[in-house]
Amino acid sequence: MVTSTTRQRSAPGRAPLTGRARAVGQGRTGLLLLQASTVLLVLAVWAALAAAGFVSSTALPGPGAVFGRFPELFGDGAYWQAVLDTLRGAVTGFVLAVVVGVPLGLVTGTYAAAERSTRLLVDVLRSFPVIALLPVFLLVLGSTPTTKSTVVFIACVFPVFLQAQYGARSVTPMVAETVRGYRIPRLLRFHRVILPSATPSIMTGLRLAATTSVLVAIGVEVLTTLPGIGHEVVQAQQGDASATAYAYIITAGVIGYTINLLSQVAERRLLRWRPPAHTD
Amino acid sequence: MAAHPSGALWKSLLHQLWLPALVLAILVLATAGSTSFYFPPATDVLATLWRGLVHGELVSDLAFSLRNIVLGLAIATVVGIGAGLVIGEIPLLRRATAPLLDFARAVPTVAFVPVIILTLGIGSGPKIFLIALGSLWPILLNTISGVHGVNPAVHETARSYRIPWRLRLTKVVLPGALPQIFAGVRIALSIAVVLMVVSEIYGSPVGLGNYILQSGSSFAVPETWAGTVLIGMLGYGLSVLLLAAEHVLLGWYHQRPPRTRRTKPRNEVTPSCSGI
Repeated sequence: MVTSTTRQRSAPGRAPLTGRARAVGQGRTGLLLLQASTVLLVLAVWAALAAAGFVSSTALPGPGAVFGRFPELFGDGAYWQAVLDTLRGAVTGFVLAVVVGVPLGLVTGTYAAAERSTRLLVDVLRSFPVIALLPVFLLVLGSTPTTKSTVVFIACVFPVFLQAQYGARSVTPMVAETVRGYRIPRLLRFHRVILPSATPSIMTGLRLAATTSVLVAIGVEVLTTLPGIGHEVVQAQQGDASATAYAYIITAGVIGYTINLLSQVAERRLLRWRPPAHTD
Repeated sequence: MAAHPSGALWKSLLHQLWLPALVLAILVLATAGSTSFYFPPATDVLATLWRGLVHGELVSDLAFSLRNIVLGLAIATVVGIGAGLVIGEIPLLRRATAPLLDFARAVPTVAFVPVIILTLGIGSGPKIFLIALGSLWPILLNTISGVHGVNPAVHETARSYRIPWRLRLTKVVLPGALPQIFAGVRIALSIAVVLMVVSEIYGSPVGLGNYILQSGSSFAVPETWAGTVLIGMLGYGLSVLLLAAEHVLLGWYHQRPPRTRRTKPRNEVTPSCSGI
């Protein structure tokens, strides 16, 4: 009962159309047309704003100028290098965060005492804005790719940890009692009971962390001299090429959007055996 | 919490406090008399923090940062909830804007920091704008999904009784969406703190971000750590305040038995869940 409502909310595009919704859009093509025209409308407003000159062209170049930069950038090795640099830092930190965060989260989530003991500590550490550690890391580690991955790791480990913990706690008492009653060995219990029931929640954590990783990597690049998309934005803006800066920002958006889509697909494939209860 | 007998309360406090206390003790002991340049004794850091707060060199930085966060977040909340209510209430609009809003959320606001600050200046206006811009998306998207998630039967009932729209908004739609909205504001708060720090490190004459940058680049390590700790405390303090507001406004929601909840508080371990 609960899952069916969540599912409807979580994937509005896929939910069976209710009478009202069917009357609204004439099927898929109508919806796509509608969405495309909304995008066009926003682009038009953007162009009008840029042309009207309310905002200086260095702060907001027109869409024509921005998208006109892409053909040249695509042919430029530096562009792909920047994308690769950002992704490398993000992925390294992300993978580390998963390797550390998931097991720790599962263990602390399984044992109530461990969860209680770590709660306050994790709460405090989690609300810590990681990027504020950057000056300290720059002092200790210097301006190296390690700094970038470390900051990304710290930013990603908490969502992963908390979601794994949450998932492990979601094992229903009945199942937990049954496992206890049959004296299932500990390792088997983790592998066959806790991990599967925590997977939906873990996937949510991975999705959050994946988005965060790119965000933080770019943030670090903006503030340091480390190469990557963030650094390119700074360079372009300082060189009065704000159209290029915007092109890089849009690139970052496309990366973030793609990660979101990919993780949704992965989530659906991995969890095909059960309704998506923990998505939002 | 209030329902607990006080003995149980103390016990649960003890359960939660021993590890943080242990970690703090280890930190203090491990760094006591430390001669390492990068890791000064924790007591030195705390003393520096205390001095800065009492003598006022940190107070103006703190006030500047706090003001930017609060103003930016307030603007984002008002705009986000307002626009979210409209978009969520009109199905056509919601479906038309969905991909656009998803993309907008995926664009990292930190990348806008150099563009905005280099063109609009290092004052607090551009920073508030950046914080509002970054915090807007989670609030907006969560409001939309909260409004959309209000039980259709409730909606139809309100409609068939011809409840005036203003009453419907304040008594049906807004309360129904409030749990989701709060989840959005909570995400927005963490984004706001990050943007505050980044925008101040990037270019600012005052602020906590500027403080840690300046002290870091002049190798005043205890000051850097003190500023970093203060930012952490600021982030935690604001999230506790938000949680308190949520408890006041959403008490009715958390008191419902879990089975009838529409949504769970996202990845959040609120004190109210401690018994479950």
